[in-house]
Amino acid sequence: MRPLTLSRLLLRCGILAAILFVVVVIALKMGAVQVSLYGLGRDLIRVLLGHSGGLSTDYGMIVVDIRLPRILLAIVVGASLSVAGASFQALLRNPLADPYVLGVSSGAAVGSIIALLIENQLSFSPAFSGFLTPFCASIGAGAAIAAVYFLGRRDGRIDSSTLLLSGIIASSFLSAIVMFLMSTLSGGNLRGYSYWLMGSFSTLPPTSLLYLLGIGFLIAAGVIYTTASDLNLLLAGEKEAMHLGVDVHRVQIVVYIAASVLTGLAVSVSGAIGYVGLLIPHAMRLIFGSDHRMLLPASALGGAIALVIADTAARTVVAPSEIQVGAVTAVIGAPFFIYLLRRGLS
Amino acid sequence: MSTPLRMPAVDAPRANPEVRLNVEQASYVYAPNPSQAPLFTLEALSFQAKAGEIVAILGPNASGKSTLLKLISGALEPLSGRVFLNGFATHSLPPKVRAQRIALVQQESQLLFPSRVWEFVMQGRHAHSRGLHFESQEDLTIATNALTQVGAAHLSDRWMDKISGGEKQRVILARALAQQPLLLLLDEPTLHLDIGAQVDLLESLRKLAAQNRYTVVVVTHELNLAGEYADQVVLLQKGKCLRVGAPASVYQRDLLEQVFQAPLSVELTTAGRPRVTLFADK
Amino acid sequence: MPDRFRKIVRRAAIGVASLVSFFAPRLAAQSALPAVSAVPSVARHDVVDEVGRSVRLPVNPQRVVSLAPSLTETIYALGDDAHLVGDTTYCDYPPDAQKKTKVGGVIDPNLEEIAALHPDLVLMTKGANRLDTVRALDTLGIPSYATDPHTVDEIISSTQKLADILSVPAAGKSLADDLRKRLAELQSELKGATPRRVLFIVWLDPLISVSQKTFIADAIRQAGGISIVESSQEWPQISLEEVVHLQPEYLVLANSHTGEGQHDFAALATRPGWRNLDAVRNGRYAVVSDAVNRPSPRIVSVIEDLARQLHPELFKAPTQPQTPPANAPESPTSSLKPVSSQSQHTTACLESSCVR
Repeated sequence: MRPLTLSRLLLRCGILAAILFVVVVIALKMGAVQVSLYGLGRDLIRVLLGHSGGLSTDYGMIVVDIRLPRILLAIVVGASLSVAGASFQALLRNPLADPYVLGVSSGAAVGSIIALLIENQLSFSPAFSGFLTPFCASIGAGAAIAAVYFLGRRDGRIDSSTLLLSGIIASSFLSAIVMFLMSTLSGGNLRGYSYWLMGSFSTLPPTSLLYLLGIGFLIAAGVIYTTASDLNLLLAGEKEAMHLGVDVHRVQIVVYIAASVLTGLAVSVSGAIGYVGLLIPHAMRLIFGSDHRMLLPASALGGAIALVIADTAARTVVAPSEIQVGAVTAVIGAPFFIYLLRRGLS
Repeated sequence: MSTPLRMPAVDAPRANPEVRLNVEQASYVYAPNPSQAPLFTLEALSFQAKAGEIVAILGPNASGKSTLLKLISGALEPLSGRVFLNGFATHSLPPKVRAQRIALVQQESQLLFPSRVWEFVMQGRHAHSRGLHFESQEDLTIATNALTQVGAAHLSDRWMDKISGGEKQRVILARALAQQPLLLLLDEPTLHLDIGAQVDLLESLRKLAAQNRYTVVVVTHELNLAGEYADQVVLLQKGKCLRVGAPASVYQRDLLEQVFQAPLSVELTTAGRPRVTLFADK
Repeated sequence: MPDRFRKIVRRAAIGVASLVSFFAPRLAAQSALPAVSAVPSVARHDVVDEVGRSVRLPVNPQRVVSLAPSLTETIYALGDDAHLVGDTTYCDYPPDAQKKTKVGGVIDPNLEEIAALHPDLVLMTKGANRLDTVRALDTLGIPSYATDPHTVDEIISSTQKLADILSVPAAGKSLADDLRKRLAELQSELKGATPRRVLFIVWLDPLISVSQKTFIADAIRQAGGISIVESSQEWPQISLEEVVHLQPEYLVLANSHTGEGQHDFAALATRPGWRNLDAVRNGRYAVVSDAVNRPSPRIVSVIEDLARQLHPELFKAPTQPQTPPANAPESPTSSLKPVSSQSQHTTACLESSCVR
């Protein structure tokens, strides 16, 4: 009998966080342009201590303004997608669930294509335009969440199989709308949009957006974490969970909304990056077991690590060109998925 | 040193403080939608049970046994009448409080991702926790005791999907005990067990009821087990309660033949318990 | 036990919150790092670019990065290539441009490479580059200027404006004047000629053409033709039915440096549906250099070339030798055989249309 204790949880998370730190340092060093570790360390310390002058010009802009925001974005998106994936797998009691299965990413796709159409009519206004796509994408995601929720209800309560079905239907329908809209957009916008669809970090996010995402992640993931014990029981089935004292309806709504928010935030800034939300929870389950009190933070950290690695590969393997992150996660993810299937999905 | 397996008493004003479970004219109707004729009706019935008693809900298939159990467990709200546990209506209790007082033992437990036996039993402690929590030493002790009480302590570190059906049944029972309930409900627990295991189970229930002062309600169609171990029998047929009472008084030959549609004979043992024998031919 | 847990969580939250609030303002300030090129002594001026952005650019840019092949060509045409420090992998004309430092593609330039060159001006065009790239450069504080020409005349005036930005106004004016003069001469030669109805093929599978709003359609107009496609999309996908219905007089294809134009047509002529077009049966097609796709000074040469192919009868004998093709020009299929050089083919076309 070795139950999960707080100290064991913190220790394991500490190890994962240390791995993340190392990965981030390596990622900061790698890129199309050579940066030395020493100069890097020196500059990062200077930045953190607030000395803005004195940054060697070679590193300053590249590392702090280009690579660092991108890495931070990868961390937040990776963590969000993984936590959302783990949550949906528990909520729907389905190991094949990923964050997009309930139609959130298709909703966000519709939102962002509408943002492109709007941008067509207005000229660029820098302060506003950085937020327009994420904003519209979030609204699209929210609308999809609400629609699937209302479709997926039965007798006023969430029924996992109906929810799953409505999610799949909504995804299909919204994807069809996206394709239709894409065929009516003119050439220029289309280029940027196909880029977005596959999932990419190459657009530099404004710093305030990064903060918004980070805070959004902490709140939504925190809310899900408070139901971690309930989720453990939910895996046994709704009736059993209810008899064991879980307020099933409340937990379902809370997790559904929070996980959808996480997915919506991630997708609205970086498109639909696949395989992360599906596979990281499984990988963490293989290592740490399915106790959600450990699984959720492990998934967050594991997802961050995975996506930083994928993004670094995406921007260095064929430098100065870039592969899209979604392509890298697919290439690595698919074989791993096959491996998991053969092993029997833990 | 506290005796962890005995729950502190929960009080509520009621007529007879000895009565723990009070089913008062509870009825239920299944209808797909209000305009159509109901698919199934459980007519109003009443009975009472005390601490330490075993009640058997007996009847053929589709007699409403599971429905009645759901009413008692609070999963369903009675159409008319009420079900009281120590003065509280079971359906109106919040889920966590309800789980602290009522434990339901089902036949199978489907876990999406397999867990170990001790983890499984620990799920029973969830009802006594608040929000996000980590298990305390007390929780561990209670879980271990529960496993010991069902004779499955040696299975503690095994994986749930690697133990036999009978062992699983005991572990599920241990989880229910870990909830430290007042009311222990079992839905056809003997269905997949061989005869020896069936008797073992009922013996344990009798011991547990006496030791821990549980009120046990068992849904079954096993006439002889119910006759031997129950203190009270509720006989159901097609949604109607035909009789409530001690086994000897309920097991009347013509009544049983009518309910079970089979020729049989009833004898009384020296202990005053009825024994039913079925005949193969008319 | 729950209380201990709560205390730990509370303390951790306070710790994290204080760390964040301590570092946050610094990180935020860092992102507003002044651009490397913001050396105070450089003179700047405020300019409104062709997409309506108000930007602050150095008066005399020394380190220019071009993110579109048309812009690279224009810089060379203006003679300012000494200041060009980086361009895209697609910038292949003039051949010297291939030797410049590459910063990536047109849609996906590498921000790090751009930043490493320490440019004081980045040039982009709305028709080729992405909005996200513009935003990213803004965030980094690197000045950028975007062009957006939709007609041939706009290309010329855009070139002149670009020359002003690059601080070579004299070169700009002389280039613009020369281009306008050539166009005016062409117009006088084309005077009175009926515009030929033309289908400009951007892509075959799916069939994509250009709308009237594009500079390509305008170039066709200047060359004495008219694109038959009407659409609200810039690069509309059209159906073959529509083409057969409209029966263009000429098909125009762009030649890449591998000589694709002729091969495309040869394959085209064997397809069902296409076979039924008058233009295909009579071998009426024109192949122009791929410069037609670039809104740069070379477009005028393309226009001149196209005009000669569309209205061969209006121009004096071309410099190509009048050698008759190997096969008799009477049968339609002969003019469809792939030929080895563009000039021979043009001769064949001239021959067949002369025959008519």
